[in-house]
Amino acid sequence: MPTSIPGPVLEARDLVKRFGSVTAVDGVSLSVGAGEVVGLLGPNGAGKTTTLHMLLGLVTPDGGSVRLFGEDLASHRVAALSRVNFAAGYVHLPGRLHVEENLTAFAYMYGLRHPRRRVEEMIELFDLGGLRKRQFRYLSSGQQTRVQLAKALLNDPRLLVLDEPTASLDPDAGDRIRELLLRLARDSGRAMLITSHNMLEIERMTDRIHFLSAGRIVATGTAGELAESYGAADLEEVFLRVARG
Amino acid sequence: MSVQVESATLPATSPAARRRRVFSVVLRDFYVMRRSVMRVLEIVYWPTIEVLIWGYLSVFLQARRVPAVVAALLGGVLLWQVLFRSQTEVSIAFLEDIWSRNLLNVFVSPLTAGEYLAGIIVFGALKLVVNVLLMAGLALALYGFGITRLGLALVPFMALLLLMGWALAIVTIGVILRFGQGAEVIAWALAFAFQPFSAVFYPVTVLPPLMRAIAHAVPASYVFEGMRSVLAGHGLHWSTLGAAALLDLLYVAGALWFFARMLHRVRASGGLSRFGE
Repeated sequence: MPTSIPGPVLEARDLVKRFGSVTAVDGVSLSVGAGEVVGLLGPNGAGKTTTLHMLLGLVTPDGGSVRLFGEDLASHRVAALSRVNFAAGYVHLPGRLHVEENLTAFAYMYGLRHPRRRVEEMIELFDLGGLRKRQFRYLSSGQQTRVQLAKALLNDPRLLVLDEPTASLDPDAGDRIRELLLRLARDSGRAMLITSHNMLEIERMTDRIHFLSAGRIVATGTAGELAESYGAADLEEVFLRVARG
Repeated sequence: MSVQVESATLPATSPAARRRRVFSVVLRDFYVMRRSVMRVLEIVYWPTIEVLIWGYLSVFLQARRVPAVVAALLGGVLLWQVLFRSQTEVSIAFLEDIWSRNLLNVFVSPLTAGEYLAGIIVFGALKLVVNVLLMAGLALALYGFGITRLGLALVPFMALLLLMGWALAIVTIGVILRFGQGAEVIAWALAFAFQPFSAVFYPVTVLPPLMRAIAHAVPASYVFEGMRSVLAGHGLHWSTLGAAALLDLLYVAGALWFFARMLHRVRASGGLSRFGE
């Protein structure tokens, strides 16, 4: 299987999702290239999570298309998802299982050639050696996030989708996770699509940002470009202006 | 010189990858059971209680000269457990993913819905083997009732009940997917809705005409009728078991269709995402 993909890793065109009379996502198009870190910003209810869930096949779009690695997600779901992974603050792992058990089960779920070896690599990478026999539910938020990221990297994904990965972390733990993610993006050339309400995080981590408001992308650019185009001092000011119309 | 770099994962659609994904569900369910004292105790607790209550009731009735009642009641209890447990074990394995807020991790993985169902069914079947062996051992030790008295008929009886139980479990999962966690009570209740029509402890002929007609559409009723026939020494009627097998196939096909519809529907409605909330 090739590790470099010509063209975008992810390409979404004109995505639309309606829930009853509410249009949650209204014509969103975006792409993520190999090695690129793209941020999705927006206020609560802007459609970020619904967009991510359409990109992952959890929600079927009412309109538009999703292509992963150049192929249609709906018709190549298994192959596509074997090269993607996901972590979110609101999704947990089975709480009674040990860290090692959780990672082992997911290593098999992603069809790894050498599941046990890969689990050991992840335990080492995320410094989980002392926690391997601890049940997931008894870990601190920071430790749980590390385990979830270890799970998200088990299959060496070409695209990592992260929905508010540091939402429940204190500044120190959040900073450590950001450092780790940045290192992983730079070293491996994997693509990342990330949502966050932490402007500093988005500013530091992303190459490009899409601002979502009321289900539409209202602005796209680097943090600097966005600040400049809105005449704002920083990304937080841009966020407030977009959120308040 | 070109260097071939081995991918970390098996080709996603290869049989080896599919087997590994099914195994991941079995392994995960085994870990969940191993970490839960209650789940382990359940394997022993309910079968023991069932055998004790029904066994001693049967002994009491036998003492009142009700003929062949021990074998019929205990046979009914043992085989009913096959149907009931096959439905609840599979349904609860699915609920574990909801309770632990892990369902989204499962559905964004390359695991297909069919592989997921296969995994929880295989693990449920393994637990059931332990369950049935325990009950059969107790029935033999306490009342001298050997389940092998049913002879070779035991094989089709169990297969038919397993199929019906799994079909009900797949429907249960579809209902919970569609209506959310609030519908989880169905995991324990659905099999009992079929019990009056399954002729577990009485023949179909005692039922009023409408209930009798419904019973004829329930595969389990043929199994329990067959069990009583074998215990009474009248042998096995393969044609009725054939009818039960046909009904089972219809149940399984209907259940898979229903599950696929519900999955399609919750993906379209956004309901699947809400399992992460």
